[in-house]
Amino acid sequence: MSLKAFKRALWVYHLNTGSCNGCDIEILAVLTPRYDAERFGIKLVGSPRHADVLLVTGPVVRQMVTRVERIYQQTPDPKLVMVVGNCGAEGDVFHESYNLAGPIDQIIPVDVYVPGCPPRPEAIIHGVAMAWVKLEKLAKQEVV
Amino acid sequence: MTFILESGYAFWNPLIWIIVFIVIMIVVYFFRRRGQKGYKKDTDQTQIFLCGEEVPEAGERHIRVGNIYWGFFETLKEYYEQILRPHTGIINDYILWFVAITAISVIVLLVAGLG
Repeated sequence: MSLKAFKRALWVYHLNTGSCNGCDIEILAVLTPRYDAERFGIKLVGSPRHADVLLVTGPVVRQMVTRVERIYQQTPDPKLVMVVGNCGAEGDVFHESYNLAGPIDQIIPVDVYVPGCPPRPEAIIHGVAMAWVKLEKLAKQEVV
Repeated sequence: MTFILESGYAFWNPLIWIIVFIVIMIVVYFFRRRGQKGYKKDTDQTQIFLCGEEVPEAGERHIRVGNIYWGFFETLKEYYEQILRPHTGIINDYILWFVAITAISVIVLLVAGLG
């Protein structure tokens, strides 16, 4: 993986759309000293306006739909959406539940899926790396 | 012509202030140029982030200065409710109050004077 166009650290905004917190705990595990994603320049930020990647968990409950759309629109371009966990990817045990509007790709475009209930931290780091490669391509297109 | 105004303890020179202002503007411009250029104008990307909530108008989203008196208003709430009742904003009511208070004062003075 060679990074030429996207030269800065990758900033990630974590958005929970109704997750059970299982995936969120694994995302936190990615930041602990054992995995330490920040050594790669991957950092969680507190605002989507600072983010390059939206990391979304949960199956999207109805109350979250407008929030998800607005947060997606507030993220500057080039941006990527990464879904962590089965719930966000296809609903998992909540599939076709009456109070869900998801999965996430029915509301906003998704670029990277990390399946699992919850996925292991290694899988999440791999997903972020894949997102980074795609972001690199997008950044190159913008430069050209 | 030096433009220097000396007071004995300090001095004032508009040229120095203009130079300082220009230097500050250059520094601000330098940092601003290094900022994120990806934001698209007139989209939600330039809106304030409120956890995904709709951003209210500028006048609605600021905490008003009156909020610092919240504790006073809350403590003296019953007193204010009593005080606000006669403050109807109608001039006739205020004149009525004036006449009534004047009449009571005159009666008190007369009674006190007679006594």
